[in-house]
Amino acid sequence: MPASTAVRALTLAALVAARVPQAQAADFDWTKYKGTTITFLANNNAVGNAVAKHKAEFEKLTGMTVKVDTYQEQQMRQRLVTVLNARSNEVDVFMTLVSREGAQFAGAGWYTDLGAFKADASPDYDFAGLSPVLVQAATIDGKLTSIPTNVEGPVIYYRKDVFAKCGVAFPTALDAFPDAAKAIKACNPGMTPFVSRGLRDALAYTYSNFVHNMGGRYMRDGKSDLCSAPNKAALGLYAGLLKEYGPPGVVNYTFNQISSLYRTGRAAIAFESTNEFPAMMEGGAREADTAIAVLPPGPGGSVPTGLGWGLSISPFSTKRAPAWYLVQWATSPAMQAELARDGIAAPRAKIAEDPDYKAFIAAKPIRQEWQNAVDAIARTGSSEIGFPIVANPASRGPIGQSVDEVLLAAKTVDQACADADRSLDALIAGQ
Amino acid sequence: MIPSSGKARAELAVLGAPAILFTLALIAFPFCYTVWLGFQKVQLGGGQSFVGAANYAHMLADPVFWSGLRVSLVLYVVSLVMQLVAGTYLALLLFNAKRMPGPLRALLISPFMLPPVVAGMMFLVVLDPSIGAANYLLQSVGLPPSDWLASPQWVVPTIALIDTWQWAPYVALIVLGGLQSLPASVYEAAQIDGASGLRTFRRITLPLLLPTLATATILRSVDLLRFFDIIYITTQGGPNDASNTLNIYGFRVGFEFFQFGYAAALAVTLTAIVLGAVLLLNQMRNAVAW
Repeated sequence: MPASTAVRALTLAALVAARVPQAQAADFDWTKYKGTTITFLANNNAVGNAVAKHKAEFEKLTGMTVKVDTYQEQQMRQRLVTVLNARSNEVDVFMTLVSREGAQFAGAGWYTDLGAFKADASPDYDFAGLSPVLVQAATIDGKLTSIPTNVEGPVIYYRKDVFAKCGVAFPTALDAFPDAAKAIKACNPGMTPFVSRGLRDALAYTYSNFVHNMGGRYMRDGKSDLCSAPNKAALGLYAGLLKEYGPPGVVNYTFNQISSLYRTGRAAIAFESTNEFPAMMEGGAREADTAIAVLPPGPGGSVPTGLGWGLSISPFSTKRAPAWYLVQWATSPAMQAELARDGIAAPRAKIAEDPDYKAFIAAKPIRQEWQNAVDAIARTGSSEIGFPIVANPASRGPIGQSVDEVLLAAKTVDQACADADRSLDALIAGQ
Repeated sequence: MIPSSGKARAELAVLGAPAILFTLALIAFPFCYTVWLGFQKVQLGGGQSFVGAANYAHMLADPVFWSGLRVSLVLYVVSLVMQLVAGTYLALLLFNAKRMPGPLRALLISPFMLPPVVAGMMFLVVLDPSIGAANYLLQSVGLPPSDWLASPQWVVPTIALIDTWQWAPYVALIVLGGLQSLPASVYEAAQIDGASGLRTFRRITLPLLLPTLATATILRSVDLLRFFDIIYITTQGGPNDASNTLNIYGFRVGFEFFQFGYAAALAVTLTAIVLGAVLLLNQMRNAVAW
């Protein structure tokens, strides 16, 4: 499977107003594996925490016990690789980011084909209701590696009160961003005009949106294409914004510093994940003065970055059938409606029509803006984050390095992209 | 004493077996396995092939390895010097301030009892260029703010400073033990001869402390050459590769890029450097023993 998969999905406009079933189908025996203990390896992010938060409901429904092992993302992946490489049955269900490690893990045979379990699903599971494009992205060599749990992508959180006070209109084109940031800096010198990810290994997530909106792509004819005109424009714009208008030390920033800076009122614009919405709004201080939008279009149009975490079953688990119960419960319409109310954008279009969810969204205007941004990501997004190669994780380093070199004024755009191209061509050739 | 009878020898073997097995299972096996892995190309999901010294050849041609080696050595030297100086100063302070309250003594030596992860998280907040207390203090006395961990030029000294904050008290404890064991008669003689405090320190205390300082140097060298936790928490080796030590690089190669064979080669090289340094320092310690 190509690691990059265009996400053109979830056409919400075409939805039928269907209620999400509130009760599980009566004729499905949820207690079939009563007494079994399942180990779930979770990432300590909004998605993993939301599933873990509701695990008691699953235990009550099934009589099974779920042991949740939660780690930070990198540590989770480290433990997962150790366990899977040892062919250990310690982990039954795990979280995976197919856009990152999908090709590597599938090549290693580390995913159970979940397609085989679809027949053993509750009648109200509604497999077809899952985003077909996310399901397609999770399907590698005809095998369903995981079930999507969410849709996410970076969006602009901005202070509409600051924009109004400074008389600045929200940019309608990507290349107008520096002017807006400059005007905000002049009007409000104590505030950081723009913040996004600067940490080398983390910034491909936000930077890719700039690349795609500028009309760039990472590879062309099997070679790294970072020195093409659109890519150089993206590199100059992203690094320039962070350098001129970002906070001091932005080179070490990832989602937690960005959320903290924005939540405490120190940034006018933050470009960060939709998953960070609860963290950005925590305490309520930003709910009234924030607006949310996808990144304005550039010469390449509007191509937001979109991806989703998924739940997989270890092929070495001795409890794969019970493990499927946890996966289908966590990705069921009812559960995903609950997760959506926790701020996890669901990969099921019908959730948006659920009356309870509608009421939740309508309760605060900012929630509707967030939902609109998520919908735009689902409709028009691209999951090309880093190079579409098996060594995708390793490809993100040189991308981040080129941005940081320009940001730190260590190299010009031309030097940085040329050096990154050399590293990446070597990586591609070494596969 | 070696038992002479066969029965006694058998009993000794049985009694010693758990310790030998423990050592083999938890130390010798992982070490030998890592050495073996350094000669393999490992495929995820099983399957590996012998590639001879290819991983080591790749390492020698890898600019990030050389940059990591340079960062490791610079960080080692800067941290070690800072810790020996600060630790000796702190030990002298504790030794001479006989009436210092116990809780204050405990507080002064407490940082090394903190988990390095906690120390790293704490300094991550303190040194944040936007909201950290460090820049606030600098600016309040009219000094310009610093980017600290976000500056390629300052990141190594800053990490050395954090590690010194944590481990200088440990060095101080070792040196304090050395100070307490120095013969009082030498100091009495120096006092009778009218030697100044500074001269006494330079000519008597410091030379007599050399074996103790050598011990502290060896103990800290082992930790500093394989420095990992605080760097990983604060910078993950960045900005770019400015704080990317060999240990951090080996971890990234192994657990982020899943190149286990190459990561093993890096780990073996680092182990060889640590062992070489310890052997060299041990020779030096023997040379200054009295």
